[in-house]
Amino acid sequence: MIPTQWYLLLSAGVFCIGLFGILTRKNALIFLMSVELMLNAANINLVAFSQQWGNLNGQVFALFTMALAAAEVAVGLGIILVLYRNFEDIDVTSPTTMRW
Amino acid sequence: MTGAFDLVPAIAVLPLVSFVIALFAGKYMPKKGALAGIAATAGSLLLSLWVALTVATGDHAGYNETLYTFVEGAGTFSLELGVLIDPLSSLMLVIVSLISLLVHVFSLGYMNDEGETGLPRYYAGLGLFTFSMLAFVFASNILMAFMFFELVGLCSYLLIGFWFRDEGPPSAAKKAFLVTRFGDYFFLVGVVGIFATFGTGTFAGAESFPHLAEQALHGEHEVTTFFSLGEQAWFTVLGLLVLGGVIGKSAQFPLHTWLPDAMEGPTPVSALIHAATMVAAGVFLVARMYGFYLLSPTALGVIALVGGFTALFAATMAVVRQELKQVLAYSTISQYGYMMLALGGGGYVAAVFHLTTHAVFKALLFLGAGSVIIAMHHNENMWDMGGLKERMPVTYWTFLSGSLALAGIFPFAGFWSKDEVLYETLVHALGTGGIQGPLLLLGYAMGLLAVFFTGFYTFRMVFLTFHGEPRSDVAEDPDPVRWNVKGPLAVLGVLAATVGFINMAPVKEILDVDVAYLHQWLDKAPEAYLTSVDHYHHLLETGAFAGYHAEELSPLLPGLVSLAIALAGVGLAYRLYNVPEPVEHTDRLGRAKTILMHNYYQDEYQVWLATGVTLPIAKAADTFDQGIVDGVVNGISSVSRFSGRGLRRLQTGVVSNYAALLTVGLVLLIAAFGLLGGWF
Repeated sequence: MIPTQWYLLLSAGVFCIGLFGILTRKNALIFLMSVELMLNAANINLVAFSQQWGNLNGQVFALFTMALAAAEVAVGLGIILVLYRNFEDIDVTSPTTMRW
Repeated sequence: MTGAFDLVPAIAVLPLVSFVIALFAGKYMPKKGALAGIAATAGSLLLSLWVALTVATGDHAGYNETLYTFVEGAGTFSLELGVLIDPLSSLMLVIVSLISLLVHVFSLGYMNDEGETGLPRYYAGLGLFTFSMLAFVFASNILMAFMFFELVGLCSYLLIGFWFRDEGPPSAAKKAFLVTRFGDYFFLVGVVGIFATFGTGTFAGAESFPHLAEQALHGEHEVTTFFSLGEQAWFTVLGLLVLGGVIGKSAQFPLHTWLPDAMEGPTPVSALIHAATMVAAGVFLVARMYGFYLLSPTALGVIALVGGFTALFAATMAVVRQELKQVLAYSTISQYGYMMLALGGGGYVAAVFHLTTHAVFKALLFLGAGSVIIAMHHNENMWDMGGLKERMPVTYWTFLSGSLALAGIFPFAGFWSKDEVLYETLVHALGTGGIQGPLLLLGYAMGLLAVFFTGFYTFRMVFLTFHGEPRSDVAEDPDPVRWNVKGPLAVLGVLAATVGFINMAPVKEILDVDVAYLHQWLDKAPEAYLTSVDHYHHLLETGAFAGYHAEELSPLLPGLVSLAIALAGVGLAYRLYNVPEPVEHTDRLGRAKTILMHNYYQDEYQVWLATGVTLPIAKAADTFDQGIVDGVVNGISSVSRFSGRGLRRLQTGVVSNYAALLTVGLVLLIAAFGLLGGWF
């Protein structure tokens, strides 16, 4: 059996890839994908701990998270569509009017 | 004993109704509201007479009831409106409603016939004025008295400034209001102090504050005193605080400066203010709570000194005036000084007597002056008059009656009352030891000296106005006046000659017949009210209280002395001014003339106090308020505004930056937890 630490390392790696994407890319679709990666990193954590403790709660939560991620993607795509309509672009740095 | 007493509130409400009618319907009425006012004040007079008659015929009849409690006190005092009818207030009700009625009638001639505009406002003002004064007179507690005292001040402001389009009247009205308000601040503090000390403000009865104070001095009652003063000292402080309002309203030194300026108002209003309402309110208040003042010899001494000084001081200023109404204004100040002197000198009956006679003869003199002013086309300068005696006989003879009363010539009203004022002061001055005796003697001396000036300026006025040759074209052919001017003059002219007979104290002494009717009348107050002359006399002679003693002295000699002095004044005026072509003799006074013409620079120093002292202090306070107090508040807000302006730069609107900030924040948080939690 693979020790839990490995899962956690994998999860941390995936999370960091997602974080890196969010911090460095401008394309909104890449943003969405990066968020997806971070969510899945969390799922890996949940499942890994679930396996470690022999408790199914974590797996159930992982399923919930996936459903939530699907809903989030729907909302995110909607936002990206509106973004495109208004700016003819899906660069996240271009809409900067929502400030002070 | 119901009936008359139940209708007492109506005495005040009737003029209030006329106020409302004149204000809202006056312009549609034939005489612009005058008829409503006349009807209302006539009704008040009838009711007052009925009340007085009930008091006179009843055996110690009185009425002391609460009408309306507007603040119910739970475990403490309540604030109430009430009615107190005793001989003093019923007498005053008659005086006020009588003078007010005559003034209303006179106004028909002075205002309506002269084609003045704004008459509904005028009659509304008169109605409200009468209402306030009547309600003040029968007030059963000091708070109610204060409320109506203030209302009286407001009405005088409205009426003095009646001709608000001219330059003088509005400024005179403001001055009258501000100067009397200055005194009223002290009065208000005194009212609060009385409530805080005694838990009640009622004037009469066993639970009244004068009686509680009396018991407190006997050690039978506990009161709260403040500033760790002894009881008597604290009562003196309270009495002097209330006296502040009295000095303002009754135009006593040093708050008398508003009164001569108040001559800017219509003459009937001056008559009302000087004879029966505004100015009388102050002296009446002292008489109302005389039982309280009698407990404090210091307060009495102050009253006597202020009164005596004012009597002399104002009389000297009246000597050089050139306008008819100005002479009368200063004589009012002087005469109210006499009343204060009497109150301070232990002559309660004398003060009320002089208040009564003065109300009659001063109303007469002002209305007579009004008649002359109508005839002279509103020229008030006496040097433009002369020779009016033949041309306006009714006015002349009635005015002469009032002048003889004012000068104190036997047997006119003023002789009896002024003589009694001086006599009471003298006997108490001679009988009392310690510091009070000489103080009262000083007051008496000043009062006696003022008698000379009174006789002089009164007859200087009469001779200049009515005798000699006419000194202007208008005086050659004055406008005639109608019945509505002559009627009130005739009534008051007869009264001025006869009203003195209500209390001929010297005759009582000489012939041993009891003709001191006013004394008997004021003594008819119900025992339980503790406002009778007998009770006051008891307080006056108790050593722990006022501690005055009356010397045995025949009133004949002092009476003759003051009569002789008055006649000397009249004689001098006769010699100097009763000539066909009188000239000003004031230049003989030398530098004194300048000082007198400038009223001893009273106005100047008060203006200096306002602009030279109060204004800089106010400015300094303003600087402190704006600079330091507001500065701290503004500083705090500026700091947060500046920091907010800087911090809002964080909100770039770029999502990536927010994400970066979130990440950095999370990392820092974890690092902090790690460091503090000892993970490393």
